[in-house]
Amino acid sequence: MSNHSNDKLLLEAKKIVSQCDRCGTCLPVCPLFEAKNVEASSARGKNVIARALTEGGLEPTPEMLAKVNFCLLCRACVDTCPSKIATDEAMINIRQYLVNKTGAANTKYKAMGGILKSRGMVKLTAKTLALLRKLGLGSVFPHGMVPEEYTRAHFLAAFSGPAALGQKAPPSDVAVTASTRVAYFDGCGMRMMFPEAAAETLKLLKAGTQPMVKDNVCCGLPHLAHGLRDEFLELARKNISIYEDADVVVCDCASCGGTLKHIASYFANDPHWKDRAAAFSRKVMDLTEYLAKVGYTPRQKVDAIFTYHDPCHLGRGQGIKKQPRDLLRAAGKFVEMKEADVCCGGAGSFHMDYPDIASTILDKKRANIEKTGAAIVVTGCPGCLIQLAKAAKASGGKFKAMHISQVI
Amino acid sequence: MISEEIKKKIRGIVGAENALDSDLDRFGYSYDASFVPLLPAKKPDLVVRPATTEEVSKVMAVAYEHAIPVTPRGAATGRTGGSIPLQGGISLSLERMMKIVELDVNNMMVWAEAGVRTIDLYNACAAKGLFYPPDPASWKFSTIGGNVAENAGGMRAVKYGVTSNYVMGLEVVLSDGTVLQTGGKAIKNVTGYNLTSLFTGSEGTLGIVTKVLLRVIPMPKKRGTLQLMFRTLDDGCTAVHRMLQSGLVPAAAEVMDRFCLEAVAKHRKTQHDPAIGACIVIEIDGEDDEALALQTKRMEAVAKECGVYEFRVAQSQQESDELWAIRRGISSAIASILPNRLGEDISVPRDAFPEVVRRIATIAEKHKLTIAVYGHAGDGNIHPSILCDLSKPGEEERVHRAVEDLFDVTLSVGGTLSGEHGIGITKRPYIAKALGESGVKTLGAVKQALDPKGILNPGKIW
Repeated sequence: MSNHSNDKLLLEAKKIVSQCDRCGTCLPVCPLFEAKNVEASSARGKNVIARALTEGGLEPTPEMLAKVNFCLLCRACVDTCPSKIATDEAMINIRQYLVNKTGAANTKYKAMGGILKSRGMVKLTAKTLALLRKLGLGSVFPHGMVPEEYTRAHFLAAFSGPAALGQKAPPSDVAVTASTRVAYFDGCGMRMMFPEAAAETLKLLKAGTQPMVKDNVCCGLPHLAHGLRDEFLELARKNISIYEDADVVVCDCASCGGTLKHIASYFANDPHWKDRAAAFSRKVMDLTEYLAKVGYTPRQKVDAIFTYHDPCHLGRGQGIKKQPRDLLRAAGKFVEMKEADVCCGGAGSFHMDYPDIASTILDKKRANIEKTGAAIVVTGCPGCLIQLAKAAKASGGKFKAMHISQVI
Repeated sequence: MISEEIKKKIRGIVGAENALDSDLDRFGYSYDASFVPLLPAKKPDLVVRPATTEEVSKVMAVAYEHAIPVTPRGAATGRTGGSIPLQGGISLSLERMMKIVELDVNNMMVWAEAGVRTIDLYNACAAKGLFYPPDPASWKFSTIGGNVAENAGGMRAVKYGVTSNYVMGLEVVLSDGTVLQTGGKAIKNVTGYNLTSLFTGSEGTLGIVTKVLLRVIPMPKKRGTLQLMFRTLDDGCTAVHRMLQSGLVPAAAEVMDRFCLEAVAKHRKTQHDPAIGACIVIEIDGEDDEALALQTKRMEAVAKECGVYEFRVAQSQQESDELWAIRRGISSAIASILPNRLGEDISVPRDAFPEVVRRIATIAEKHKLTIAVYGHAGDGNIHPSILCDLSKPGEEERVHRAVEDLFDVTLSVGGTLSGEHGIGITKRPYIAKALGESGVKTLGAVKQALDPKGILNPGKIW
């Protein structure tokens, strides 16, 4: 037996994976197992590797880190598992453990994590990307890192006719009380990739309140997911402090929202931060969750067919499925696609690490979108939007991909 | 160990990407869904993933020449260790052979490759109005080849039988690579020994099943679900027996004992009515709503004669799904009570069901263990689950003795060790008790004839 089995991260992972009885229920729902049907690609395969590691039957190796990195953290397996084994949490713990153990293995995530950790760098990157877009140079970056954006203005011009352009947004039916202090969480993905959609989010919020715009930092998910837990905790503490004066924190990124809602659990044993973290997590809301709560009515109803892709971190991660669909039904015609909640293959930086697998997964998503006959596929996550924009391009113009804030 | 030279030969057959030998890839093929301990890992030396019968045949020829052990594998969802490569060698994974080769609507038969998922086969048939009834609990993720190799059962066995009742023919690769075809589409067939039956349930010890020919039946047009609560398990079993005797055949009749019901209630955060000692969930099917209503009425009458405490008819698909979700969720619900769960799979003459359940309670008491009981009341297949904590000193030994007692009781009433999971590794020590010396000898003679070098799934069954 190895002497590492008492490590706290391993113990946390062990608590989860020791409950797996290897039945195989998760096999058909894992998008990665479908794309690459080797046992170690499946949720069961990775959980059992984790279990053997925690029980001293396997040694921590770079090969193991590669296996546990090959996970979308999409929670499709968690949803279907009879024992609700949290594969994603186990993978995050094991990645962290292996990074601690094998040292420099995750250098590329460190580099990326470094950029996201610094707000200045995020702003700079956002500017660079905006410039590249303006110059039409986005395509020089591999794997659609700089998605071509289809803006709200394009959308209205295409579907509403000129009359709708410039039309003033009607005020929300339900007034948010004057005392509710609503703040916006400006996520890195939205800022860098989809600034136009982020601006629409702010406009939506302004329709009912005076949103506070903060100089927040990254939610920390990229760090947490790739073995940079200390950085994640540091970012979390900053965000908790930054939003202490807000009553509601609205996110237009599913992954940020999901992460921020879970921050409390990472500070449960920290006497200094426990209560502040819990209070923070409680006030985080997805944009659609917030809009549903205040009874928002879309600014226009257009003659367009929408379909909706559930971001993993919104549907399974936060249980928010109804609100975005209701909003879309009120904004146009809504058609449900098959397997709307299956991961698009984006999964943070997964699509850059495994472009072939990600594109196999995306092809299936594209076919499902095309079958609906929808003109617009809508989602609520910049990570998904990058993938869906690629799918839209691959479809040869059959549909466009947009953030929900741009169409409601 | 397999030499680099042999690996090279095999890579030449299936392609380099389908012959895996990295440590973690081999580890992935070292376990199944049984309670055979994960560690020490029983890793194969090489994972081979052929795509065609021809590739399987060539790989077997190499294995035969060099006497390399070969363990066939579907989705590794078996409960008795059948696909665990006990002696290393090759794990022959058929997961890439997933084509439905022919759906013959006129003859109502289907040829499918071994790696087709059972649910995909079911859906392909259903699209043509045809019905493949066997539904092992793992049917959404198990493969048809594995179902045939283990002769899997399921909940519908009471009315529709088990996998072997549908197998009409097989394509099998023998240990030396010879490709054999058994049976065929002729419904009556007494030409030679019934090799189809011999290979069905042979757990990969006699040959590699690469294709299966299955008969299917017309899809029942309507289905319904009933939930019957009884004060005692005896009452419930009696009700099911009387239904069957009077020609009322449920498509499934699943029983859960008091312990299971309490576990489910705890899992779902509901209250269990202490007056209820057993629950039976019944599926009925038929031509139309009237046929279902008539069956329901007659079943209710029989249930009342047997003192039913509560008789509920699911009013919607959603209600029906909920009732079956409770049944399917049992193993997880009871598994969450203690760290380890050892599920058994005894099968007894139908009328011995209540007696065996009573004796299981005595065994549990004697060995100071908790044993939950659920199973297929309609066909006498019982799944006693021993709940334990194997990290407690002495617990493993007590569990071991309880299992021995359990098998003794089963055999004493004319039952058998396994109804639908197979013998594999986990029930191997008890096979002589069940089959007797002559039985084991005869199995040995068959094995010797078909696998003279003993390379096919060594260490299983006996």
